[in-house]
Amino acid sequence: MAHVVLTDLVKTYGTFKAVNNVSLRVEDGEFVALVGPSGCGKTTTLNLVAGLVPLTSGDITIGDRIVNDIDPKDRDIAMVFQNYALYPQKSVYKNLAFPLQMRKLPRDEIDLKVKEAARVLDMTHLLERKPRELSGGQQQRVALGRALVRDPAVFLMDEPLSNLDAKLRVQMRSEIKRFHQDLKATIIYVTHDQLEAVTMADKMAVMNGGFLQQYDSPATVFANPVNMFVASFIGSPAMSLVPLEVSTNNGDTALSGTEGWSMALSPLNARKVQNSTSKKVVLGARHSTIKLHKHVIAGGIPAKVYTVEPTGDVTFVQALLSGATVNISVPPTVSVAPDETVWLEFDQQRIHLFDGETEMALSAA
Amino acid sequence: MMNSPSNPTPKARRPIDRWRWTGRLFLVLMLLYTAVPMIWMLLTSIKSGFAALQFPPQWWPDEPTLASYQKLLDPTNSVGRDFLRFFWNSLFVSTVTTILAVIVAVPAAYAFSRFDFPGRKFLFFAVLLRNMFPAVIFLVPLFILMRLLGLVNTHGSLILTYLTFGLPLAIWLLKGFYDNIPIQLEQAARIDGATRFQAFILVVMPLSVPGIIATAIYSFIGAWNEYIFAYTFINRNDQLTLPVGIQRFFSENTTDFPGLMAASFMMSLPVVVLFLLLQRYFVKALTEGAVKH
Repeated sequence: MAHVVLTDLVKTYGTFKAVNNVSLRVEDGEFVALVGPSGCGKTTTLNLVAGLVPLTSGDITIGDRIVNDIDPKDRDIAMVFQNYALYPQKSVYKNLAFPLQMRKLPRDEIDLKVKEAARVLDMTHLLERKPRELSGGQQQRVALGRALVRDPAVFLMDEPLSNLDAKLRVQMRSEIKRFHQDLKATIIYVTHDQLEAVTMADKMAVMNGGFLQQYDSPATVFANPVNMFVASFIGSPAMSLVPLEVSTNNGDTALSGTEGWSMALSPLNARKVQNSTSKKVVLGARHSTIKLHKHVIAGGIPAKVYTVEPTGDVTFVQALLSGATVNISVPPTVSVAPDETVWLEFDQQRIHLFDGETEMALSAA
Repeated sequence: MMNSPSNPTPKARRPIDRWRWTGRLFLVLMLLYTAVPMIWMLLTSIKSGFAALQFPPQWWPDEPTLASYQKLLDPTNSVGRDFLRFFWNSLFVSTVTTILAVIVAVPAAYAFSRFDFPGRKFLFFAVLLRNMFPAVIFLVPLFILMRLLGLVNTHGSLILTYLTFGLPLAIWLLKGFYDNIPIQLEQAARIDGATRFQAFILVVMPLSVPGIIATAIYSFIGAWNEYIFAYTFINRNDQLTLPVGIQRFFSENTTDFPGLMAASFMMSLPVVVLFLLLQRYFVKALTEGAVKH
């Protein structure tokens, strides 16, 4: 296993910059998820690490070696593809043996390793089958096996679960996580599903528009998103973002909505707001941090209910506030009707404040 | 309930049946249209010269004979010697054309399918442009070109010409095939330790075998049956190919119909055998490769 360092990675197609100065370090044995919406550059970044597309500028280091101009076959990597890319004309056995044959291992050693990988992944009985005779889950397992037999320095995975049905996806998610824990493998994992990234990865690199937005542990990214994009992309349902104006209330800094109400701020939040480049500030809050009251309370902000979505465990209420939609979760016992007026209470400790112009998180410093 | 869709009345079913029978009748007519000349060719080839000219014609000869075949396959008489030479010439020209077509079309189609190089679209259009004109309009220009190159009366002139006409479709057919092979297979192979060339040979080539076979059959049949260019470019007896050879040599004095038909039958044999052996690849290529899903 080895660490991977990306330094100022750039990939352009004509005038289009698919990857823009991406730098990050993956420690030995770490599971890093590259996550972002489609077209954000995450797959291109992975293909750059694999050597499948040529680099425009920057450096890629695997272990202690700069691999910029090294062929994929000599980078000591293994890759699992979204469509599995199993060789259709070869049996499962030959699919697993192929990377070893290409490395000219002796036949009895190949046999040993293939059978060991098949045993680990519980597919010894499938070895003579052709890929088309396997179910989606089994194919995905063969693809994992083909990466595993080689014992490479780094595993690259490109949306390996997105072709599976929902139930199987959850099951394979825990299998891959287990596989990482057992092997202490260095894994770079591309996904558009933030839930996969949050549940599996040690660190997540959130990308958008070819830029790396934030690179940190899922807990930190979730608790302290650096900008509005990360805030709205990570977490489900998404964080509610409400555009507000900075105002002064009896000499204290406050935020006011288009409906005319104003919200007092804690001293820390007031200092953050004073750092904004303009009078526009966006308030961010996750559904579980907002309290919903059916009757007027001190400091409560009135909002009109738009829809109510019971899911069983919790009920999600969407309310309209200052031209934005706010998501609130309430126990299923609370009954709320559309168009009803409710009062929202925001937790000053857990709200997020963003600069309305730059979209960056505001800090108190 | 009488008219429910799951229980159609006989009245509702009748028009569908009528169309089905019309279709079958049409197919039978088409079968007769293509099969009767073949059968007639076969029957005439086993008649004596006299029986072949009888009127009203005899369908089944009174005294079937293989004399015409014996004569054609006997290298000791002049008829047999010529026939065997023409057969060999045709076989040579068609085989070389086929091999060259595959050698050129496979990498060309792969490049058009996989690589993004400047002028790719224009070049692909240029390749297909040839097929938008009838072949005959190239007859005179190509003849002049061949004369300039000193290729008149050589098999080289025919091979070059057949490649010109066969390659566009071959490249187009194979490109469709490569387009349908996911690029991730090659990428996986390259990560698994193959060079780009090995990935092509070990992973992509085996998957495109049906396409390559279809391309080969298409090139071979095209070259084997071609008449007008062979007739124009070649006038030395020892260089003639079968389609021209058969015609020339049987119409010199009197027409030996059983001999002509026996020669025609033997000429159609390689194509029929080739097609029967490989037709499932051919159909697979035409349905899977060229047609987008």
